Amino acid sequence: MNLPADTILSMALLSILFSFGSSRLPGLIKVLAFQGVVVCIVPLFLDQEMSTGGIVFTIATLAIRGFIIPGCIYLAIKKVAIGREVEPIVGFHASMLVGLLLIVGASFASHRFDIPSSSISVLLLPTAISLLGAGMFLLMARRNAIAMVLGYIMMENGIYLVGTTFSVRARHIVEFGILLDVLAGVMIMAVILQNIKQTFDDVDTARLRTLKE
Amino acid sequence: MNESVILWAFALLTAPFFAGVIFKVKAFFGGRKGSPVLINYYTLFKLFKKGSVYSTSTTFIFKIGPVVSLGATATILLFLPIAGHTPVISFNGDVIFILYLFGLARFFTIAAAMDTASPFEGMGAAREAYFPIICEAAMFMILILFYRLTGDLSFSAYFAGAQPFGFWQTGGPTMFFVIIAFFIILLTENARVPVDDPATHLELTMIHEVMVLDHSGPDLGFIEMGAFLKLFFYASIVSRMILPFELGHPLLNLALFSIGVLIVYVAVGVVESVTARYRMDRVPKFVLTSFALAFFATVITLELLK
Amino acid sequence: MILEIVFLIPFFTGAAALFLPNTVGQVLLILTGAIHLILSVMVWIGQLSPMLPEFFAVTPEGLLSLLVISLLFFLISIYTISYLKLSDIRKKNIFTGSMLLFLSTMTMVTLSDHIMVMWIAIEATTLASAPLIYTNRSKASLEATWKYVLICSVGIAMALLGSVLVTVSMDVAKLDAPISFSAMTKVAGSMDPMWLKAGFVFILVGYGTKMGLAPMHTWLPDAHSEAPSPASALLSGVLLNCAYLGIFKTNKIMHAAGLADFSGPILIVFGLISMMAAATYILKQTEYKRMLAYSSIENMGIIAFGTGIGGLGAYGAMICLIHHSLIKSSLFLTSGNILLGFGSRLIDQVGDLLGRMPKTFVAFFGGFAGISGFPPFGIFIGELLIIIGAFRTGNYLEAGLFIFILCVIFAGFANNIMKISFNTTKASLRINESAGLVWPQYVLLFTSLVLCFWMPDTLYQTIIHAVNAIGGGLQ
Repeated sequence: MNLPADTILSMALLSILFSFGSSRLPGLIKVLAFQGVVVCIVPLFLDQEMSTGGIVFTIATLAIRGFIIPGCIYLAIKKVAIGREVEPIVGFHASMLVGLLLIVGASFASHRFDIPSSSISVLLLPTAISLLGAGMFLLMARRNAIAMVLGYIMMENGIYLVGTTFSVRARHIVEFGILLDVLAGVMIMAVILQNIKQTFDDVDTARLRTLKE
Repeated sequence: MNESVILWAFALLTAPFFAGVIFKVKAFFGGRKGSPVLINYYTLFKLFKKGSVYSTSTTFIFKIGPVVSLGATATILLFLPIAGHTPVISFNGDVIFILYLFGLARFFTIAAAMDTASPFEGMGAAREAYFPIICEAAMFMILILFYRLTGDLSFSAYFAGAQPFGFWQTGGPTMFFVIIAFFIILLTENARVPVDDPATHLELTMIHEVMVLDHSGPDLGFIEMGAFLKLFFYASIVSRMILPFELGHPLLNLALFSIGVLIVYVAVGVVESVTARYRMDRVPKFVLTSFALAFFATVITLELLK
Repeated sequence: MILEIVFLIPFFTGAAALFLPNTVGQVLLILTGAIHLILSVMVWIGQLSPMLPEFFAVTPEGLLSLLVISLLFFLISIYTISYLKLSDIRKKNIFTGSMLLFLSTMTMVTLSDHIMVMWIAIEATTLASAPLIYTNRSKASLEATWKYVLICSVGIAMALLGSVLVTVSMDVAKLDAPISFSAMTKVAGSMDPMWLKAGFVFILVGYGTKMGLAPMHTWLPDAHSEAPSPASALLSGVLLNCAYLGIFKTNKIMHAAGLADFSGPILIVFGLISMMAAATYILKQTEYKRMLAYSSIENMGIIAFGTGIGGLGAYGAMICLIHHSLIKSSLFLTSGNILLGFGSRLIDQVGDLLGRMPKTFVAFFGGFAGISGFPPFGIFIGELLIIIGAFRTGNYLEAGLFIFILCVIFAGFANNIMKISFNTTKASLRINESAGLVWPQYVLLFTSLVLCFWMPDTLYQTIIHAVNAIGGGLQ
């Protein structure tokens, strides 16, 4: 058992529950920012030795995931005065329940995998799986386009957790490329969101239905 | 054994004092001097000196309600390991017994409220019956966690001696979640802000207060006393969890315990001062949060144990 | 010279074109297209070697895609100049700049060997092409862009997870090799099969989203129909190939690891589902660009099917891949002419193509003949090989279904094409067909035709070399 890492990971799990329960976008964005920070500092507690490059990379990741990406979305909301409710398809109580079941399911599923990382931290795999599932859930269960983008970011957080901790092989430059891609993706989504807001006067995805068979 | 009884008496005697602390804290935040810390004793004396007024439409249920609820709560304290000392009575499975004693007290309070046939009291009774149901789920979740950690089903096994410290050793950070969950249960069960406002003036928005509108004199005194004891019960559990240390000497333990209890009461006062009461439909969400936290803590802890 | 220059040049010219005035940008577009074509040929004859061999390498399948991309882009850039003159696109410099950036990212996909770099490149194609789809700045195009970016990003995130899982499968087996496709194919035999399988599934779902495999295809018809025609041609002709490349390379690892029995059926099922979805929608289609988009889904289904069959089928899939790119991009360019001429995307509002736009009609009908598998064209040969391959491997039921769906699609397609070509219409024509608007399509179709009868030996060898790893070949 790795106490500091597990403590941090349980914070990440907790952020899932909070994100499912929050009905307001600014709150949801803050939860995501918190989650980004938490996820980024996990590697600091996992690696036995850390190179200077590794630390610099971790700090850069932290800045991007914890501050720049949520900041982008936050600015997008501010600029065009997007409505603050997340417009759930699945209610908050049900979402919370789903979140709990997700965590249980994830920890159950992770027991079936026999991987070297479980000796480092028991919560690592459950957290990663939960983040992935939670991101998917937000994508499906919220009509607000911004909440969907946040769901995507949550999924990316989960993948990042799987990536940094399992494969020591990937070079930092490659990791950084991935991060830049995600950042650029979120920025483009933010721009599209602003345009959607200006064109449709709402970011409710139920209005995006001109194109269908 | 003697010490246990003395501690029990200590709990009965000091509970009103601690409740007075909440008034002080709220007065401090409001910038007032506030009532004296011993205000609750004065109130109780005043009430016991008075006679009771009974509506002609009420039956004996209305009269025994307060007595039963006070009796049940006082009995519960017999099972509580105050200051980490072994309680007066303890057996395996007493946690369930205690939960249902609370249920008994609540049942009689509700029955007494319904007995008045006042629509307001019926409404309060409905709410009083609804919210604790969710609380109970959270409570049982915490009990499951404690049971998994200790293998025992009694409060003395959980909170006596050095055991709470053991929780921290095995559960680690998840104990924070348990404490927060328990604090939320405390606020809900004792009708505090943000679930219910004890100082509200409108019957429509009340939960607990509206049920006791028709009680007067000694009956009201019993109810107040029961409320103090109930709050003390929850506060002492939280106190044992946040200060899980065993200092070796009973008096030192008692001092530490009292500090813990004081912290909890101050926290309740602070919460009451800085938050507003939730809209009635938001309350279940708040209470569910405690369930979610408890559930979450259980899952994580069991994961860590493996 | 270094290999990386092939995608660096379009990257820089693209970035420059974003800020330069439109006239300069268009010159840059053609110029870069030409330089890119020359460089690709140099790669073909082995003149360029990578500076970062850990990340980039020349692989036969990448080389094929690179050549197709390069040729297509050059022709499309010529078309684009004529198209931009007639269309009412407002920010033309953004359009040309994004085209070049798009070219750069796609080239990077074809050259990347590292599994993560590949992912980065494919995600970058999504980002670079998003402005292209939003070019018209209408409600519909906005919706299409949103769907495209969100669905593809989420899908590709799955592929990232898959890539990570593939590396996990190496970690678990305690292998110490670089995580490039070529190195992994060599050590595939000793990788952990469970994680490799999981990785493959995620990569297939992820890149399959980008490739337009049903049921993850929902963004494709919207994006392809809302984008301006040159962009649609690029999206359909080249981008889908790039995504396929990711799946193909992973499939190669699966074959090397002896897990072809696992990956094959999955590919076959996805392929058939895509074809069925395409058939359903083509039959009732009311817009011709959407119809072409669904036809792309169908062809991707065919390619996935062929890859899943393996052997002769894999060779057929490669043939289909090349010819689909050539023919479908020419069709999308032609549809741009029709759109410019009639000003409507609806099949009902368009007609009498034969009488009014004869040159366009030739390109359109030729493209139709090619894409629906008329005998002399390459798609016919490819599909035939796939069917033979399916019978050889004993997939009778699947092959039967395959043939049936092809017939249904042909019927639906022919019905709509006949309407467009010969129906009477009241619409008045707005353009005349300048050389720039038809010759690129002719060249594309002609190339496709030539490749059917005479294939350069080096090209043949490259294809054989590419499909060898998954048990492909003409035997």
